[in-house]
Amino acid sequence: MFRLLKGFGVTFNYFRKKKITIQYPDEKVVMPERFRGIHRFFPDKCIVCNLCVTACPTDVITLTGKKSEENPKKKIIDTYNIDFQGCILCDFCTEVCPTDAIVMTARYNNLSSFNRSEQFKDIKWLTDNHVYGHYEESDPVPEMGERGERK
Amino acid sequence: MDTLMMFLYAVAVLGALLGAVTYAILFERKVIGYMQIRNGPNRHGPWGLFQTIADVTKLLMKEDIIPTAADKKIFVLAPVIAFAPAFTVFAVISWSDTIYAADLNIGVLYFLGVSSMTMLGVLMGGWSSNNKYSLLGAIRGVAQMISYELPLVLSVLGIVILVGSLNLRDIVYFQAEIGLWFIIPQFLAFVIYIISAIAELNRSPFDLPEAESELVSGYHTEYTGFRYAFFMLAEYTYAIAISAFATTLFLGGWLGPAFLPGVAWFLLKMCLFMFLWFWLRATLPRARVDHLMQFGWKVLIPLALLNIVITAIIKVWMGW
Amino acid sequence: MSIKTETMTLNMGPQHPSTHGVFRLLVEVDGETITKAEPIMGYLHRGSEKLAERFLYTQFIPYTDRLDYMNAMTNNYVYCSAIERLLEWEVPERAEYLRVIVMELNRIASHLVWWGTYLLDIGALSPFLYAFRDRDHCLDLLNEISGARMTFNYVRIGGVKWDAPEGWVDRVKEKVKVLRENINEYDTLVTGNEIFQSRTIGVGKLSKEQILDWGISGPLARASGLKMDVRKDEPYSVYDRFDFDIPTREEGDVYARYKVRIDELYESLKIIEQACEQIPDGDIITKKGQRIMMIKPPAGEAYTRAEASKGEIGVYAISNGKNKPYRIKLRRPSFVNVAILQDLLVGQNIQNLVAIFGSLDIVLGEVDA
Repeated sequence: MFRLLKGFGVTFNYFRKKKITIQYPDEKVVMPERFRGIHRFFPDKCIVCNLCVTACPTDVITLTGKKSEENPKKKIIDTYNIDFQGCILCDFCTEVCPTDAIVMTARYNNLSSFNRSEQFKDIKWLTDNHVYGHYEESDPVPEMGERGERK
Repeated sequence: MDTLMMFLYAVAVLGALLGAVTYAILFERKVIGYMQIRNGPNRHGPWGLFQTIADVTKLLMKEDIIPTAADKKIFVLAPVIAFAPAFTVFAVISWSDTIYAADLNIGVLYFLGVSSMTMLGVLMGGWSSNNKYSLLGAIRGVAQMISYELPLVLSVLGIVILVGSLNLRDIVYFQAEIGLWFIIPQFLAFVIYIISAIAELNRSPFDLPEAESELVSGYHTEYTGFRYAFFMLAEYTYAIAISAFATTLFLGGWLGPAFLPGVAWFLLKMCLFMFLWFWLRATLPRARVDHLMQFGWKVLIPLALLNIVITAIIKVWMGW
Repeated sequence: MSIKTETMTLNMGPQHPSTHGVFRLLVEVDGETITKAEPIMGYLHRGSEKLAERFLYTQFIPYTDRLDYMNAMTNNYVYCSAIERLLEWEVPERAEYLRVIVMELNRIASHLVWWGTYLLDIGALSPFLYAFRDRDHCLDLLNEISGARMTFNYVRIGGVKWDAPEGWVDRVKEKVKVLRENINEYDTLVTGNEIFQSRTIGVGKLSKEQILDWGISGPLARASGLKMDVRKDEPYSVYDRFDFDIPTREEGDVYARYKVRIDELYESLKIIEQACEQIPDGDIITKKGQRIMMIKPPAGEAYTRAEASKGEIGVYAISNGKNKPYRIKLRRPSFVNVAILQDLLVGQNIQNLVAIFGSLDIVLGEVDA
């Protein structure tokens, strides 16, 4: 009979403790740098090798290149699109890229939209996605509170 | 003149009751949330105070669906029959020395008799929905509520023997006279009353009629919109009525040190009981149907009868 | 003259609060006693085994994540281990230790989810929240090392993808202490509770013969007296270097399965502590494994098995020399365990159905693949 009553003590103790809720959207969780979030693209580093296109399991990356003017043997990137309706954020494209032209940032919440056509991101959006992540030339990591939320 | 005062009292109690139910629902969610290391609702209004109002407004705006194969008249009547007895018993509860509606000499009998009619509402709701899950929920609910009426009544009898009257105001005056609240001499009856009250109210750990993980909401599965809100209202009204009854019988009604008026003491003690129901819901798992029946018939009724025998012996030998 | 009665067909349909996913259970009840039960699955079938034939070997790893999504690291591991056996590669030591740490952390997370949702089915509301708070500790650690919280895609053929970040191993050691205290608290809250015990003791007994007949493995088998655990019977990875027990019980009812899983939580914490002490420095992937797109095993077939939190998971891989597999067959523990419901549920009442079904601990991603 009395083991039941010990359970009451446990719930009552939790009544007095500090709560662990993070009040989204006022406070957001800060992901570690390695988090596989939305991509970022560096057009100057890309050598149009098409490895990311072959590595992608869901075939959502499409790109075209054009001949560069300075050095006719090399190519520079012309268009680069990722269709986020199919991307599973698996990180193979960044793993195979030899020059780290495509990287994944640590941001997870800038993809929501009201219609499907906005999910098809082009080169301009991917280049402008300045968020911190596991790559060089990143912005400073935002300050974390004690429960991992961002102030 | 008398009818006018009666009518005004009824309207005032109904208004106060609606306000109390609104905030009881909010506080249940907040208290259970705090025990689960999270905040309860805190978006609507400061500290979540307008949450129930938002919920009820949403329920009012929903479409009123009555299944085609359901028994229409009984379907519509069931929430009303669940609510009306729970509200009628407030006529006999006295909130303080001077605030009361009817000083019935059979107050206890009236309360226990009228409040047992709520199970008809449960049965009607489950049967008329024409849904196997609702039927199972209603069957379990009626079996449970009938079985636990007996310990509820028997546990109160000890107090009636000591006081010698069924009048609720006399019971409180007796507690003032002997200087002790009945929770101390009648502790066994108090425990039996609490357990039977939880079973009567269909709350955790005895909430089999509305066991969410098995029966998808039991007897009120098919109710939508305002009818659903009515069932919720009936449940919380009955909870407040039973808490008020327990306060009068066991915790001394409006008695207390003089720095607060009697009404305030009564309401504080009622809030204590409501906190107890919420605490039980957050902690205990659900009991199984056959265990419930065995516990009610084989354990609680003999204990309640034992309590009556001991009280009677004490009264005769000690001449109280 | 006797009254004519009929049995009622109750459909605990694909949408139900307690079937743990899209699973359908067709039961015929007589009053409240079940006379026949028929499990119907296939609502989450995504064709993983057929899809495997068109991917490169490394591209299939995210698909193994999504089989038993509570325990994704073990699925990744068993697939990579089958391909490594075809290729006959040696995995570096540091990679093996990292694999063991993340697999045991994942086993703790999976058992915590089982605990929280099982008690929610039984009717207690609070343990669910406590379990998920602790699971969040595990998932934060796994997030730091692999970059995601549920579909990790971390184990590669020949090693692991990334090394542990700075200070990760120390953080794991601290979190293990926190988890141990919290799990002690759970015992007070639930295991001694009389209502819980009266609902689970003596319910849903499985005998040893039934287990061997139906091919059941994992905590279900260990709760009925069979001492079956792949980590001890056929040690894979570096499990033979750690000192841990296999909790077993004799009764075979729901309470025994509950206790076995809680004891397994403590054993996993022991393994993680020992692994954190012993972890060496070194490489994390073999040289040839770094070129993930060029993996071409010679023609042949291989079968490996591992101990997932639900039972024994196995991968049977056939290769014909190209860079895409010829056939991958997955032996999924929940798929095999769910078949026993036809036998076990006859004669129980509906509340016991929920208790028994929860104690089998199935995940629909695994039942349907």
